[in-house]
Amino acid sequence: MKPAEIARPLGVFVIVIVVILAGSAVLGAVAGGGGGAPTDGQNIQGQSPGQFQPESVNPDVDPETGEISVDADDGTKKILIDTLHGNAFDRDDVEPVVEALAEAGHTVDFAPSGGSDSGGFGSSSSYNATLQEYDAVLVINPTEGFTEAERAGLRTYMDNDGRVVVLGEPTQTSVSGGSLVSSLSSVSFGANDLTTEYGARMGAEALFNVDDSGNENGFKSILATPESTSSLSEGVDTVTFENAGYIVRTGESDATVLYTAADGTKTLETRRNGTYATVVRNDNMVFVSDSDFVDQDEVYDADNEVFVSNLLDFLTSGDKPDDVPETSSEGTPGGF
Amino acid sequence: MAASSESTSATTVLYVVVVVVAVLVATVLAPVVYSATTGSGDSEGPSVAVLTLRGGTSGANVAAISEDLRQVRNNDSIDAVVMRIDSSGGAVTSSEEFYLAMNRTAAEMPLVTYVEGYAASGGYFGIAPSDAIYVKPSSLVGSIGVVATLPSSLESQNAQVRSALRTGPDKQLQTIDGVREELELLQNAFVGTVMEHRGDELTLSRTEVSNAATYRGTEAVQNGFADEIGTLESAIQRAATEADSIEGDSYGVHYKAPPQVSTGTIVLSDADVESTNGSIVYVDQREDTGTDFVPPVRYYAAYGIPESAVENQEVVTNETG
Repeated sequence: MKPAEIARPLGVFVIVIVVILAGSAVLGAVAGGGGGAPTDGQNIQGQSPGQFQPESVNPDVDPETGEISVDADDGTKKILIDTLHGNAFDRDDVEPVVEALAEAGHTVDFAPSGGSDSGGFGSSSSYNATLQEYDAVLVINPTEGFTEAERAGLRTYMDNDGRVVVLGEPTQTSVSGGSLVSSLSSVSFGANDLTTEYGARMGAEALFNVDDSGNENGFKSILATPESTSSLSEGVDTVTFENAGYIVRTGESDATVLYTAADGTKTLETRRNGTYATVVRNDNMVFVSDSDFVDQDEVYDADNEVFVSNLLDFLTSGDKPDDVPETSSEGTPGGF
Repeated sequence: MAASSESTSATTVLYVVVVVVAVLVATVLAPVVYSATTGSGDSEGPSVAVLTLRGGTSGANVAAISEDLRQVRNNDSIDAVVMRIDSSGGAVTSSEEFYLAMNRTAAEMPLVTYVEGYAASGGYFGIAPSDAIYVKPSSLVGSIGVVATLPSSLESQNAQVRSALRTGPDKQLQTIDGVREELELLQNAFVGTVMEHRGDELTLSRTEVSNAATYRGTEAVQNGFADEIGTLESAIQRAATEADSIEGDSYGVHYKAPPQVSTGTIVLSDADVESTNGSIVYVDQREDTGTDFVPPVRYYAAYGIPESAVENQEVVTNETG
């Protein structure tokens, strides 16, 4: 092969490269020398704004730590978890509570299912007989009322150091059914007749708080703080209530407010700002305006586990005599 | 004879090479010539571009409007842009894209928004960086919040997930707490953006904005969600005023047609080319991946209620005739 035969194509090749490079250089010079706006793709202004950075965006996630602990100082006790009043909760949700009580040596029973008219509690006598067996009663989210006879039995029960804790929720509307046919139903707190006897009743609305410092990742998960120092607030800074209402003290109530919702909490429907009681105590009765905080999902949020421990200590520290309330049949409904 | 044939063949190759080189040279020089010619087009004078987004901030709509914004940014003869919007938002992911595209544009030139109908939720997310927001009394803005659509039974879905063989306890599992945290995170970015851009104008606190209420135009001008009552013309005039290179009313107005989501004209194998813009080719892969997996939870920055909920509603008014 002659040198010329190699040199010519090589020359052409070099020329092509030179031309392309020169063209690029000319283009670059023209674009750069234009003095105009930088070309798109180089200017990344506005693409990583401050308000999108992790420190501005990532929510503070409260670690679900801590333990529920129950004292056994006052001996082992028997606790009844009420299931007779349309109690809207799942037993597996309260397993951590049952477990903690069992661990401390206490006994927990769920009242037999069935209505109060059919489960053997149709008379004050049979209800009282059941109450006699237990040192404390935990009533979770009742949607049906307590009969007059039951209330009378509980009155005697508490007058004799029997302990009762009522956890309730405000009136809520829920949608049930499938995608084609759905129905709305409204569920209300059922034990106002009972709690009113102790100077407290569930308020008309749920609460919410949009302020990040007043809720736990969700405007309906409000925070509440102790209002006064008591055995039920010991070790607690804040508790979180998933589905809270507020408690209204009735008349010249003896009930003491133990916890109130955080600042900025409002009523959900009417947006009224105020100081809302969420936990009250009247002697041997404690009333909380939320029932979800004992659930497995919520019980380790904030200081809920400490509050629950305190509640369980309250339940197990009564000293009710074994023969109270009396089971004699004179306790007729409406007899006083 | 053979030598002559070889010589002819070599000459042919040479000519081909020369032609190729000529083409290459032309290709290289063409943009220069083009650029030089368009440069002289400045004599047309400065102009304001009017872009329109009507519809949700879906991925396709946002991709299209983002391309429009990019073209506007790259067009030297455009000195300001007006966004005419009627959007009640959509998925959080694409609403954020919309915001970023608008924010970038606002960083480079005056951007004025005219709220034709709705600029709610994800729609407002996008227009937050505007230099000015014009509304009419019936315009609707606000709804600064995020919703999650969950399966009808998270428990049953999780039970199914748990029954599968998985590599870790969190794999595919959705908890209410987890969804809440994600909602909070997305909401922080959303509210943070609104406060960043409108904080000085708003008479509402961050907490009040987080209530996610909607406001009609006249309310919005009072509480700072919008700046002025006006028309599209007012917005155009404001954009021109904001642009340094525009003096008086000697400027042109270019109306860009609302984006049409097209499948493109060029088909590359299984992918549809959405559009080409200069050297950038936007490719929307539409191939069916054949998987049966869908996101278990979807997050929307949207105003309104899911269509499935509408189907179940009883009609109680006859206002639509």
